[in-house]
Amino acid sequence: MSRLQAEHLYKVFGRRPDEAVGRLENGSGRDELRAEGATAAVIDASFSVEPGQIFVVMGLSGSGKSTLLRMLNGLLEPTAGRVLFDGRDLTALGARGLREVRASRISMVFQHFALFPHRSVLENAAYGLAVQGVARAERERRATEALELAGLAGWEQSWPDELSGGMQQRVGLARALATDADLLLMDESFSALDPLIRRDMQDQLLELQKRLKKTIVFITHDLNEAMRLGDRIAVMRDGRIVQLGTAEDILLRPADDYVASFIQDVDRSRVLTASAVMAEPRSGDADGCGCETVAPGTLVADVCAVSARVPHPVAVRDASGDVVGVVPQSRLVGFLGDERAEPVPCDAPARRLPAQQAQQAQQGVRAGA
Amino acid sequence: MRVLRIPLGEWVDGGVDRLQSGLSWLFDGISSAVTGMYDGIDAVLSAPEPLLFAGILAVAAWWLRGLLAGGLAFAGFAVIDSVELWDEAMSTLSLVLVATVVTLLIAVPLGIWASRSKAVSAVIRPVLDFMQTMPAMVYLIPGIIFFGVGVVPGIIATIVFALPPGVRMTELGIRQVDKELVEAAEAFGTAPRDTLVRVQLPLALPTIMAGVNQVIMLGLSMVVIAGMVGGGGLGGAVYRAIGNVDIGLGFEAGVSIVILAMYLDRMTGALGRQVSPLGRRALARAGAGAGGSRIWNHRPQPVVAVVGAVVLALVAGGMGVFGGTTSAEAGGAGDVGRGKKISVGYIPWDEGIASTFLWKELLERRGFEVETRQLEAGALYTGLAGGQIDFQTDSWLPVTHAQYWDKYRDKLEDKGSWYGPTSLELSVPAYVKGVDSLADLKGRAGEFKGRIVGIEPSAGMMGILKDKVLKEYGLEGEYDIVDGSTPGMLAELKRAYDKKEPIVTTLWSPHWAYSAYDLRKLEDPKGTWGTGDGIHTLARKGFSAQNPLVGEWLQDFEMTEEQLTGLEERIQETGKGKEQEAVRAWLKDNPGLADTWTPVPAEASNVSQSHRSG
Repeated sequence: MSRLQAEHLYKVFGRRPDEAVGRLENGSGRDELRAEGATAAVIDASFSVEPGQIFVVMGLSGSGKSTLLRMLNGLLEPTAGRVLFDGRDLTALGARGLREVRASRISMVFQHFALFPHRSVLENAAYGLAVQGVARAERERRATEALELAGLAGWEQSWPDELSGGMQQRVGLARALATDADLLLMDESFSALDPLIRRDMQDQLLELQKRLKKTIVFITHDLNEAMRLGDRIAVMRDGRIVQLGTAEDILLRPADDYVASFIQDVDRSRVLTASAVMAEPRSGDADGCGCETVAPGTLVADVCAVSARVPHPVAVRDASGDVVGVVPQSRLVGFLGDERAEPVPCDAPARRLPAQQAQQAQQGVRAGA
Repeated sequence: MRVLRIPLGEWVDGGVDRLQSGLSWLFDGISSAVTGMYDGIDAVLSAPEPLLFAGILAVAAWWLRGLLAGGLAFAGFAVIDSVELWDEAMSTLSLVLVATVVTLLIAVPLGIWASRSKAVSAVIRPVLDFMQTMPAMVYLIPGIIFFGVGVVPGIIATIVFALPPGVRMTELGIRQVDKELVEAAEAFGTAPRDTLVRVQLPLALPTIMAGVNQVIMLGLSMVVIAGMVGGGGLGGAVYRAIGNVDIGLGFEAGVSIVILAMYLDRMTGALGRQVSPLGRRALARAGAGAGGSRIWNHRPQPVVAVVGAVVLALVAGGMGVFGGTTSAEAGGAGDVGRGKKISVGYIPWDEGIASTFLWKELLERRGFEVETRQLEAGALYTGLAGGQIDFQTDSWLPVTHAQYWDKYRDKLEDKGSWYGPTSLELSVPAYVKGVDSLADLKGRAGEFKGRIVGIEPSAGMMGILKDKVLKEYGLEGEYDIVDGSTPGMLAELKRAYDKKEPIVTTLWSPHWAYSAYDLRKLEDPKGTWGTGDGIHTLARKGFSAQNPLVGEWLQDFEMTEEQLTGLEERIQETGKGKEQEAVRAWLKDNPGLADTWTPVPAEASNVSQSHRSG
């Protein structure tokens, strides 16, 4: 069973939302509705998230991703559709039931951290437990553990305004982890951080995920981040999910021009793996030699590094040690240049390349000086 | 073309009447609750010795703001004590405290409600605008009808005036709390009420405390208005001072209000920082950074402060207990009142003050307990008709106060005139030559800048002046009548007189201005002002039946011009706040008068006995 399932979720703000849903189902466009005073934020979103997965929703601002996220824990009530959490229909729960689910099963990490400035780091981390009515000693113990997990041991008695942005978000993460919820909703949680810190946090999240195996729905507008974190990715545009798949699916088979234009800036070598570039192994290519090999899941960037050290195409071995493919250097170069054709043999004898000439000229100048 | 006249005033008039008859139980309840709170707080505040209590307040300031603030607070309160306005200041403080507490009890929940509902906010906003901008006097008089004269309408007016910032700041403070924080609270399953208590209120607290501060400041600014309807305190002192153009007293009372205001302002500001978690954070950080001038900023530990305040309070309470037994006075043979309470109201006009304190002294000699209340004219009549005041001695009938008499005659007893005739007139300084009669004013408007300096437009004589006098003498169009106030008129007269500028003012006799300045009353050959009034004593309906002897005394009371001016002079010489001393001295110089005015019949004690049992 999926941990989380969204079935035909709609969210329309403004006048007569139910009517608007009906019209959207019948093919009306978003702009038509807007003229009548209704804003369709999310249109017909369906997906499912398996336990232990990181599901990333990627889209630009205004694409409806934050609205979608808030329907998953009932902060916003869907105009139509259902949210199933462990098979339980959240949309059928009353306010009190929803609060209970949010207190113990689903927690959330915010874009701007949303730490309570009038509470210490420890009290912030313990907030969810305090809401549940957990006794002080118990909740402080669990909050301390969560802070340790998030890398903030020793900062319990500090105040949020004494911490850097990255550390504040660690508190936010600890607060979400402290309740031991199964589902973590992360709303652009790393977007407000500096690039280096953001990378750190992404690494730490992946590290934590290996140990904790939470189910995470992660919202971002950064495709690189989506590719790094996401087991599966939904790309949203104008309220609709336009593509749903793995990072590789999206990079290699963009659903439309919009997605294609998006992936142009992605550092593909850090997303795609050896299996995406390898060629059929020809007998004797690398068989039997003791050179370095890679796994099918090795990132292309790492394959490049190996290839620089190996005098022949790099062998790709699966878990059982069988060679499942090889990656010649021409493939790697072609991959970086987005060229899929095989090299054409050259028809003229070797000449001095322009680069060599330039180098020599420069040396001459230096010698003259 | 005539536009439809909306009878808005009539509706309100009718509404007030219906409310008064239909909801009197409610108003009585509110009134007694507020009075009870006020009396309680006032009793506590005025029990200790002034300087000891100043010490307690100074320790509070020391704790909240530091040594310098404590010292200044003590000095400030010492100033109030030294100008002999301590009791007034404590009354004002009680009034402001009661008003603030009630205001906050209403404003904070209302503000919270408004912050959670756009509809409520939209409905409340114009109501708040109305409350804040409607001139206080407009609802003070209905306030007297509902709540009776005294501190209650003053407190109610203060509440009405001070409520809007309390509501607004609470709403603003809560709405200002970061949306993401509220969402975070919800995302962790916090119930709405807990969100309010755990997140919104703590974070809104600095703004709410700023609102509390505003409420207190506005309350203090209302004390003068409250003084006009019998609120007493410093406001009463200010009102009395402007009524008599007593610049010195006005300034002293004004400075006392300023000292109270600054103390309350600084203390609530500091309290705001102490109470709110964010404020404490800021203080702790600032404290960590600050180095020098340690002593001035030194603040005792809360424990030390509390112990200090308690010790001072105990000492103060002890002194209050032991010092509070001096007031009982022997009744003696003439004691027919036996402590019965009588409430006398007066407008701070000289003859009113003189006759009121004369009666206070006379009745106290006869064993009554007399309470005097200084009121604005409209408030005085309303209070008298409502039965909160037993009698007043300064009613000018049949002309000047005719409007009040006509309105309330069914609820009043006329105990006859004790002085008369009075006269209304226009007067010019004696240095203005060639103007002896009203007729002489014609054609000389340029000299007087075309103005006749008048008093309150509500005053009876202003109506007569506009409707009859100007018309009869053909002065209409030539002179403008400047509506204003009695103090304003007197101040203008003083200014012009000192610079020897020509001026025409409305004036009446008896009036101290005639002894202070050399003025000439303009003759009225056509008799447009009418024959003079008598100064009447009016009692509430039924007063004489309950107090037959006092009724008789009042009925028989008479004063000659010589007696009245002599007494007025004596009061003026003795100075403000010592009216009764002046009366005593004056009675000493005029032996026998007291017994003439308040004769004790042989069977007096029996009368009062039987009266009590009946």
